[in-house]
Amino acid sequence: MSATVTQSTASPGNASWNPARIRRVIGKAIAYILVSALGVVFLIPLFWLVSSSLKIGNEIFDQPVQWWPAVPQWNNYPDAWNALPFTRFLFNTLFVTLLPLVAEVLVSAIVAYGFSRFVFPGRNILFLVMISTMFLPDAVKLIPTFIIWNSFGLINHYDPLVLASVLGGTPLFIFLMRQFFSTIPKEIEEAALIDGANVVQTFMRVMLPLIRPALLSVSIIGFQGHWNDFLGPLIYLNDQAKYTLTVGMYFFTGGVNERPHWEWLMAMSTLMIIPILILFIIFQRYFIEGLTSGAVKG
Amino acid sequence: MVGDPIGDYLPTLIRFVVLAVVVLGVSVGVHYVLRNVFHLKRDIAIGFSLITPWILGFLIFNLIPIVSTFVLSFTDYNLQQTPNFIGTQNYETLIGSDINFWPSIRLTVLYSVISVPISVTLSLLLSLVLSRNLKGIGVYRVLYYLPSIVPAVAVVLLWRWIFNPDVGLLNLILSPILNLTNTPSPDWFGDEKFVLPAFIIMSLWTALGNNTVIMLGARKGVAGDLYEAASIDGANSWTKFLRITIPMMTPAIFFLVVVEFASAMQLFTPAAFARATPAAGRFMNLLIYTYGFQQSRMGYATALAVILFLLILAATIVLFRSQARWVYYEGQER
Repeated sequence: MSATVTQSTASPGNASWNPARIRRVIGKAIAYILVSALGVVFLIPLFWLVSSSLKIGNEIFDQPVQWWPAVPQWNNYPDAWNALPFTRFLFNTLFVTLLPLVAEVLVSAIVAYGFSRFVFPGRNILFLVMISTMFLPDAVKLIPTFIIWNSFGLINHYDPLVLASVLGGTPLFIFLMRQFFSTIPKEIEEAALIDGANVVQTFMRVMLPLIRPALLSVSIIGFQGHWNDFLGPLIYLNDQAKYTLTVGMYFFTGGVNERPHWEWLMAMSTLMIIPILILFIIFQRYFIEGLTSGAVKG
Repeated sequence: MVGDPIGDYLPTLIRFVVLAVVVLGVSVGVHYVLRNVFHLKRDIAIGFSLITPWILGFLIFNLIPIVSTFVLSFTDYNLQQTPNFIGTQNYETLIGSDINFWPSIRLTVLYSVISVPISVTLSLLLSLVLSRNLKGIGVYRVLYYLPSIVPAVAVVLLWRWIFNPDVGLLNLILSPILNLTNTPSPDWFGDEKFVLPAFIIMSLWTALGNNTVIMLGARKGVAGDLYEAASIDGANSWTKFLRITIPMMTPAIFFLVVVEFASAMQLFTPAAFARATPAAGRFMNLLIYTYGFQQSRMGYATALAVILFLLILAATIVLFRSQARWVYYEGQER
């Protein structure tokens, strides 16, 4: 930037179009064309998702491709919603999303605080063990975890999807928040201590507000993970009434005696994206900031 | 509403609260015992007390399941009967006579080995373009991130249509090239030759946005004064890119490669719903689900899980070993 300014003051008029500047402008133009072209590639499937959600069942497979339905079938949305108990599914999904989310974010913050601010023997080894569980495939834990819940008689209950969040938090969240804690100067805590605050008060009133960007970004990641989870509800829930949105949607792919309802499936998918999209658009600045401080200093 | 929502939610909610209180109690107890019984320093007692929830979770949801998986893989457990110890029979059957085994390994490993480097390289390049001072950067960020927030179930079904051999979007776009070279349009998920490329294309669309956001974060973290110093030394932009940008971003690249590889090896939802031809093999995680939960052969399925675990572990070790050669950490001499 500063280079441009010096150039133009030194040689005013047409001469400012020197090769360096031309190269920069061309470079920027190419960058715009590239990101826009790729953006279109990324958008087409999503556009198709929305347009298909407004079509009559078989129009989806019409040739030539119909980019936008002649008569948008807005009633696909209420029809899909009422074809299965989706109101119930929505509450089920909120239940298995929000409850563990609150617990895992809070617990991860507490554990991260312990790892970043207090010196105790074995701290580094324990932290390393914690990090390495991040790389453990879930597949290796899936079956015994199922057996554990089964032995408590909690299959077909929400417990397997909810309770684990109270224990342990999430390694990625602990990692990201610990990085964030370590950027906060120690003096802030010491000041709180001198004012007579205990550890709990310092944590709640001083430290938590300071790591707000990290809290936000892990909350978005966590929300997305639970909201879109498919394998968990599929394995643990048996009654249709207890299903979540993703599992309910799967019924639209057709069964033995039923044709697939693609248009309904697309309608429900479109609806499912909206909450996460709103969260991401509102918080995208914090989201990047929250992830950055973890990844860079990793 | 259908069913009995309150009756379904309330017991779980109560157990949730009780468990939270118990965990809190244990944490406070740990502090009390360390401080008053062992007379340890304040920092030690508080530190251990704060990480107590993680230690409990680690034991219950990591250590016990992993050990159990290894033990179960030597049994014929099927959820109903008490398991019998059958030695290495599960492994012998898998490797020796299971016709699904080798195609599954081949598909899973090839998919991970090919898709991860492509995805990470593309997201690196994309983050470099996006990190220029473009107007409306936020719009592009949202645009690229969009695919990663679509529920995986929807993503697969969307792509099943895109890959449809007759009316799919991809073959429509490819048709000029296909007509020119006189090749028949590929039947993506239906033809075993095209299953792997189809999964890779689908994964790129899904993962690129997420990876680019992480890369963008790393790119922004590269200190500006490094470039200024290099400019004074007369370095051109290509040299700066090769000698500053890339080395400073290697920790993020490394992190991404390790995490993405582990998750690629465990591909499940897309694998379950693509209805790809079984001739190409099934992804390992899907095969574990099929054996364990659909056929109730838990012991046999855990043996496969152990093999998947060992494969990921081996790859992770190789990657960590390779770190010294190409990953640059600040404040560390090379």
